[in-house]
Amino acid sequence: MKSKKTKARQPFSLKKELPLLPCYLLGLLWAFFTIFMLGWIIAASLSTTREIFTGSVLASGPHFENFTKALFQNQSLNNLINSTIYTVPSIILAILVSAPAAYCMSRFNFRFRGVIEKGIIMGLGIPAIMIIMPLFSIVSSLRLSGSHLTLIFLYTATAIPYTTFFLITFFRGISTTFEEAAAIDGCGPVKCFWSIMFPLAQPAIVTVTIFNFISRWNEYFMALIFANKKELRSLGVGLYQTIYSMMNSGDWAGMFASVVIVFIPTVVIYLFLSDKIVSGVTAGGVKG
Amino acid sequence: MKQTRRSILIFMAPAVILMLSVFFYPAVRTTAMSFFGVPRVTTPMSDWTFKGLQNFIDLFNTPLFVTSLLNILKIWVFCGIATIILSLVFAVAFTTQLRFKKFFRAIVYLPNVIAAIAIGYMWLLYVYNSNFGLLHNLFAKLGWQSMAEFGWLSTDHVFLSMCIANVFGNVGYFMMMYIAGIEKIPVDYYEASRIEGANVFQQFRCITLPLIKGVFATSAVLWTTRTVGFFALSQVFKGVQTYTPMLFTYETLFGTEFTVDINAGTAAAAAVVMTVTVVIISSLINHCIKDEAYEL
Repeated sequence: MKSKKTKARQPFSLKKELPLLPCYLLGLLWAFFTIFMLGWIIAASLSTTREIFTGSVLASGPHFENFTKALFQNQSLNNLINSTIYTVPSIILAILVSAPAAYCMSRFNFRFRGVIEKGIIMGLGIPAIMIIMPLFSIVSSLRLSGSHLTLIFLYTATAIPYTTFFLITFFRGISTTFEEAAAIDGCGPVKCFWSIMFPLAQPAIVTVTIFNFISRWNEYFMALIFANKKELRSLGVGLYQTIYSMMNSGDWAGMFASVVIVFIPTVVIYLFLSDKIVSGVTAGGVKG
Repeated sequence: MKQTRRSILIFMAPAVILMLSVFFYPAVRTTAMSFFGVPRVTTPMSDWTFKGLQNFIDLFNTPLFVTSLLNILKIWVFCGIATIILSLVFAVAFTTQLRFKKFFRAIVYLPNVIAAIAIGYMWLLYVYNSNFGLLHNLFAKLGWQSMAEFGWLSTDHVFLSMCIANVFGNVGYFMMMYIAGIEKIPVDYYEASRIEGANVFQQFRCITLPLIKGVFATSAVLWTTRTVGFFALSQVFKGVQTYTPMLFTYETLFGTEFTVDINAGTAAAAAVVMTVTVVIISSLINHCIKDEAYEL
């Protein structure tokens, strides 16, 4: 708030702004390109294929039937629901598993802590391809390949390294006085964590959950392998299939509508939470 | 003390068990698989036949895999250089006294919240389209006919086109890393140098660059892990020109619409090659760019 006030008082002076002209141009050019691209695609998704090819998007008003067609005939609604089923439980579970571990690693010294820390770092960098083959054979021998549970489990587990890493940094920054006071009052570590530290960590938990949400929502590779059946597909995998079949029928308006359905949820979330997201990108994992 | 030990167990057990079952065990088993003849992913371990290094030898004798390695190497080098330079330029520009800084940063970061597959299709279906595409219309308006007719998706140029889309998607993330690095540098340094008469470029070269050396190492490692996982875009921009090891491995595991040439052992070998490459490159980067302890 304070910085905003001082900014508002600063009068516009050409002498100060002129050297920054290249920075403005660069930013404006990039911003214009990005917004124009997204805007045009949204406009095209509301037009007819004919209008798209004649360069007169939206000429006959918005055509919402592209969306109804994509959502209902092309399974997008079904895929949207699937993506939600995969994403929401796994980001909650990931927090419930990672937060205690992160807290424990930031507070206690125990055997294997170093090994676990190394494991977390390696987990951050290991390519997905290295782990999916045995998982695939386990899943199919357990006959879980037709179930949503597989991806929920995998998305939970693969979120642990990042989430834990992010929260360790946060817990290290909280003073220990709360726990000391709680311990004097006879509160054990586990109870103390859930009733004092976990609520205290809320800002970090919200930030890391937003990131987990976006990355799980956009995850493509594992979804392609573990959910490539009509009734299991996530949005991304469904998009690939839809475009693939629409290319043949030449339904460009439908293709753009399908693309819009995929990017709208995360972009809308970003519109509301961009402050939190932008300031959180480097807050946890990355050391400067 | 005993109570603390029990608590530690309660705190750590779920995370450790999940990590062991989803990272450790599969990674070990994939490594083992790469030394065995395994026809399908689902082949039980009892039917594996030991082949030694044969999978790796076969792999490097597969022209498509070698092509995919060269492609990913080019992506790593060219897109990497472009991404890091662009994101550094943005980071420097957006840490000045600029107005609407927050807006600019947010818009450059935006592609990072969109699924890679959607980014790929936005470029493929719209930007590069030869009838109504953004670039076609732009160059036509400017009267630059040869560029308006440029075949972005022809076999000669599709790799370049995919690289541009990839850089577009990644710049924001790395920009945020550099911004975080630059904002940690005390303003006094810049003020002192300004009084001494240093210009913007001298400030960048003598203050900013040396002080964000550590960020370079981190971003190079992250770039490497991201590049190895490069998959969605190469599937969108289909073709030999845009083939990458991830796609090769995926198709060796599950086949394609055209072939059913499946070999899980070779796929495992490819996965091991990729992982080992990441580990080697990351440790090389960390060794070469040592962050000389600047206490800030």
